[in-house]
Amino acid sequence: MRSVKKKKIDMENIIFTTLNTGYLLFLCIVMLYPMLNTLAVSFNDAMDTVRGGIYLWPRKFSLYNYYVVLNMDTIYKAFYISVTKTIVIVVTNLFFTSMLAYTLSRKEYVFRKFITTVFVITMYFNAGLIPNYMLIKSLGMINTFRVYWIPHIVSAFNLIVIRTYIKSIPESLIESARIDGAKEFRIYWQIVMPLIIPTLATIALFVAVGSWNSWFDTFLYNSGKQELSTLQYELQKLLASTMNAGNRTPGGGAYSAAQAGASNVSTPQSIRAAITIVTAVPILMVYPFLQRYFIHGLAIGSVKE
Amino acid sequence: MTTKPLAHQKKRKSVWDTIVAQRELIIMSVPILLYKILFSYVPIIGWTMAFQNYKPAVRSIWEQEWVGFDNFVKLFTGINGERFLRDVRNTLGQSFLTLLLGYIGSISLALLMNEVKNNKFKRIVQNITYMPHFLSWIIVAGLVSTMLAVPTSGGIINDVLIRLGLIKEPIMFLSYPKYFWWIVAFSHLWKEMGWNTIIYLAAMTAIDPTLYEASVIDGANRYQKMWHITLPGIKPTIIVLLIMNVGHLLEAGFEIQYFLGNGLVVERSEIIDIFVLRYGIQMGNYSLATVAGIFKTVISIILISVSNFISGRLGEEKLI
Amino acid sequence: MKRLFSLLLMMLLVITMTACTTQPIAKQEPTPAQDSQTDAGTGTGQQTTGLPMLSPDNPVTISVWITTNFSAPAADNKLTKLLKDKLGVTLSYEIITPDNADQKIGVMLAGGEYPDLLGTTDLNIRFITGGALIPLDDYLTEDKADLLFEHVRPYWNRLATDAGDGVRRIYILPNYNRYYGEITGGTHYGASGFWIQKHVLEDAGYPDLDNMTLERYFQLIEDYMKKYPTIDGQPTIGFEILNCPGREWGLTNPPQYLAGAPNNGGVIVDENNVASIFADKDIAKRYYKFLNQMNARGLIDRESFTQTLDQYLAKLATGRVLGMYDQRWGFGNAHDSLVSQGRDERTWVSTMPVYEGKEPYYADRDVMNINQGFGVSVSCKQPDIAISFLNTMLSEEWQKILSWGIEGEDYHVDANGRFYRTPEQREQQKDLVWKSRNKLEALLDQLPKHQGTFSDGNAYSPGDQPEEFFETLREYDKNFLKAYGKKTWRDFLNQPPENPIYYPCWNIHLPDGSEAQMANQQLTDLSLQYLPRAILADPSEFDAIWEEYVNAIKKINIKAYEDAINAGIQERIANWGGGR
Repeated sequence: MRSVKKKKIDMENIIFTTLNTGYLLFLCIVMLYPMLNTLAVSFNDAMDTVRGGIYLWPRKFSLYNYYVVLNMDTIYKAFYISVTKTIVIVVTNLFFTSMLAYTLSRKEYVFRKFITTVFVITMYFNAGLIPNYMLIKSLGMINTFRVYWIPHIVSAFNLIVIRTYIKSIPESLIESARIDGAKEFRIYWQIVMPLIIPTLATIALFVAVGSWNSWFDTFLYNSGKQELSTLQYELQKLLASTMNAGNRTPGGGAYSAAQAGASNVSTPQSIRAAITIVTAVPILMVYPFLQRYFIHGLAIGSVKE
Repeated sequence: MTTKPLAHQKKRKSVWDTIVAQRELIIMSVPILLYKILFSYVPIIGWTMAFQNYKPAVRSIWEQEWVGFDNFVKLFTGINGERFLRDVRNTLGQSFLTLLLGYIGSISLALLMNEVKNNKFKRIVQNITYMPHFLSWIIVAGLVSTMLAVPTSGGIINDVLIRLGLIKEPIMFLSYPKYFWWIVAFSHLWKEMGWNTIIYLAAMTAIDPTLYEASVIDGANRYQKMWHITLPGIKPTIIVLLIMNVGHLLEAGFEIQYFLGNGLVVERSEIIDIFVLRYGIQMGNYSLATVAGIFKTVISIILISVSNFISGRLGEEKLI
Repeated sequence: MKRLFSLLLMMLLVITMTACTTQPIAKQEPTPAQDSQTDAGTGTGQQTTGLPMLSPDNPVTISVWITTNFSAPAADNKLTKLLKDKLGVTLSYEIITPDNADQKIGVMLAGGEYPDLLGTTDLNIRFITGGALIPLDDYLTEDKADLLFEHVRPYWNRLATDAGDGVRRIYILPNYNRYYGEITGGTHYGASGFWIQKHVLEDAGYPDLDNMTLERYFQLIEDYMKKYPTIDGQPTIGFEILNCPGREWGLTNPPQYLAGAPNNGGVIVDENNVASIFADKDIAKRYYKFLNQMNARGLIDRESFTQTLDQYLAKLATGRVLGMYDQRWGFGNAHDSLVSQGRDERTWVSTMPVYEGKEPYYADRDVMNINQGFGVSVSCKQPDIAISFLNTMLSEEWQKILSWGIEGEDYHVDANGRFYRTPEQREQQKDLVWKSRNKLEALLDQLPKHQGTFSDGNAYSPGDQPEEFFETLREYDKNFLKAYGKKTWRDFLNQPPENPIYYPCWNIHLPDGSEAQMANQQLTDLSLQYLPRAILADPSEFDAIWEEYVNAIKKINIKAYEDAINAGIQERIANWGGGR
């Protein structure tokens, strides 16, 4: 009896595992293909790529696209700025957001509803390009490093995610700490923080990626100071410069016609591919490091009720 | 007789008392609140642009030319109005579909990944499925466009369908309005599905493992575990995200519609943001853009209030 | 006698003294007030008084804001160094890509502070009306910015703009198409045409291209397609219709050319100088109906309306597209790809189909860009220096450096004083990295240029130097040109007559937020919506769809648009005559 049932379960398990694995593998291929394709295009000769037909492997291998990207001497300082900016944002964001999230997870907190509402609503409106710019300007943050992180210390979305996670911590833990006489900040810092590491890692990743990829703030506020430029912004400009051959406005005349033959050794498409790889690689290296906090997340120790 | 005044006194004292008692929480939160008010709410004064004929060169907000509700009329009536309404419909349709597919896709993927016993495989799958998130939309648009083209232009989908004998002639997917919403939804799904599982997987780590152990003793099979333990375990996360996303229903992305939209499908492809770009920003008409922005905000707030309320009524997690 | 003499001497003294003091003195800069000559031989344009002289003893920094696709020069750029060593000038660049310029300009105007020099594409008008630029009239005189003055003098009335106070002044120094010397017209042709693959013509025995019509054009294509259904294993494509975002004119421009009118954007101007749109007229209907029939015959690429620009160019680069309507600067990448693959016969040459009884007017005399170029901002603390810099850059010496390069490194001079390049030097000009180290492209893009020829007869642009053109001509092209008895690509186009005074209408500025501007955009949007449908439809449905289209156009405030254009035309006729 039991062995039959066991066999049935084994059969089911096998079927399930096979199907599951098959599905996951299919997803992997579907997701991986474009990345491999971009990689192939980045290593392919630009003029050859224009013909189309590059799939997984470069047809005419060339390092020229990377040569162009890596020879922009401005990207090295920009890389440094991007890294610094990302680290600063992640650290400040994690600290302030989680602290606030803790207070909002306390049901008895008198301002809980009010503060939550104020923050949540900010997700749904935008004062507009010019008003935001004027605010930054009047705070004296144009052409400064500060403008990269100060406006982004707390984001409503991250706040909610962390708060939700904190809510899943058994009240009993916190209660017992209170009984022991611990103050709120200590509870937050010594008890809650260690327990929410998986979500902190998640938020850290979101914030890091967002910061790493952003270029609009550089464009809007800091385009006047080359030393403060970020990686993405520099690469955006590089990308634009390869569009010369195709993008002269009417009236360019003979000058542009002559130049049209000039910048042709790389194309926007190919440079874009190289840029994508260059910007994605750092992040792809960071994630596995954070990953161990998700999969082997700290279990919230069993509490004998 | 004497109880009444006492009760009165008690109440008043109580609020102040609470504040004093909770002063640590207040210190930990109110400064941040003020900060947010400064950076997000103060610029709202710029919404006065909607009632003006705003010219950036006239620097002061108070010296602009006031036109009352003129801009609203311009946007919501006449041929602009028809167009705007159409765009609202497209925006809602696309984001609703995206939301639906996205939820089904991400949650099921998270559950399935959770079932994988081999940690190495699990990590590999995770790493790979979140990669599309890092591709910029312009690359994704190019890839999607190629995939949907005719076989001689690299259109894999048509190629496969023809080989399987399901169709005879290649279908020009990008020239039929009816396909466009699906194209948008699937593009988002492909790009964000893996990335969105991160939140759910992180939430799953919070589930008490003893619950699983207990269920095994009770003879639960895989599906029962999923249904009775895992899903309820991540339900708060799902609900909260859902409410927030409902509020974003008027944001349907931008890049995919911008790069893949064309004249043949414009009836279904144009969304609010593209209209605002063309007729607002690119024409230096910031007033119009502001009006559209106000509209979106008002609708979004109504949406989340309603969904938040409903969620509370159903006994589920509330956002606020 | 003595007294008379001393009186005369006194008077002379007094006169000379007053004359000296009324001479404008060099301001601000602690330069020794040199109203004198610099080295006579260099011709640096600093021989005049009135503007401070730039020299390495007085280093200055000028902040430059440029909207361009070119990137900033590398830190070790040799020309940057040259500017510093010879003139003491260091430039600090702020480069904005054209795609996002709108937003940046908006916030700049709101903020009110600007870098010293502002150079942008057509959005300059926003800077002018926004009060960001200083008027340059006072500097544009013979004794101040002499070279700049000469540059704008014949076109003064065109360039003068009203910034809002009723007086027309010059705020911007135009950067393109101000020609000096003989109008060479160039050897290249950069603008519109119905392009046809060279091999098609070769295969048909080099038919006469005069009196080209749509019917004949498409016949050539159809015959070739029948003969060669595939090219290199892929299906041949007859005709591509260009209409991706930003290039909608690929779909909407042809009717005016077919009707023998030059490119005035969305209107045709009749002999009474009255403009009206042509999108809903018969000349347009005829063209699109024709395309509809061609589509039914399988000559049109159905994917024309759904593909991205990248895909369009990729198709062109496969060499299987026989014809398209496009502007030469638009498909440079595809052309170069084919050349690098060694398939020159697959590149294209321009033809000019027109309706019967019309004369082709595809090529026009290059129009000066009145809305592009540098202006000096109101935030500039040393406008004299900035203008002195611009003036110096317009000297022939510097123009040669900026355009050709350093003699001996980037080009050579032969025994007759003609400039030329070696093959290695030509190759260098293609390398993006080399260029960022050796050229100042971003700056040059916005600077006023001495286009045409220099006083020594060399062409300003290496591309226009006839020797360079003929040296770099490839074998196939040589034979092709010979078969047609033509010397350059320009020869395939019409000889452009003198442009009408108001030409071209496509750069008449439509005020921001105006009805006219909105109507223009709505018209474009409608054409993108209905025309593809009309072309791809079954021929029996064409008329019905066209009716729908015309009715939709009626709902737009076209009158506002036409009125604005006509007002612009009248204004130009009134004000643009002559120079100063």
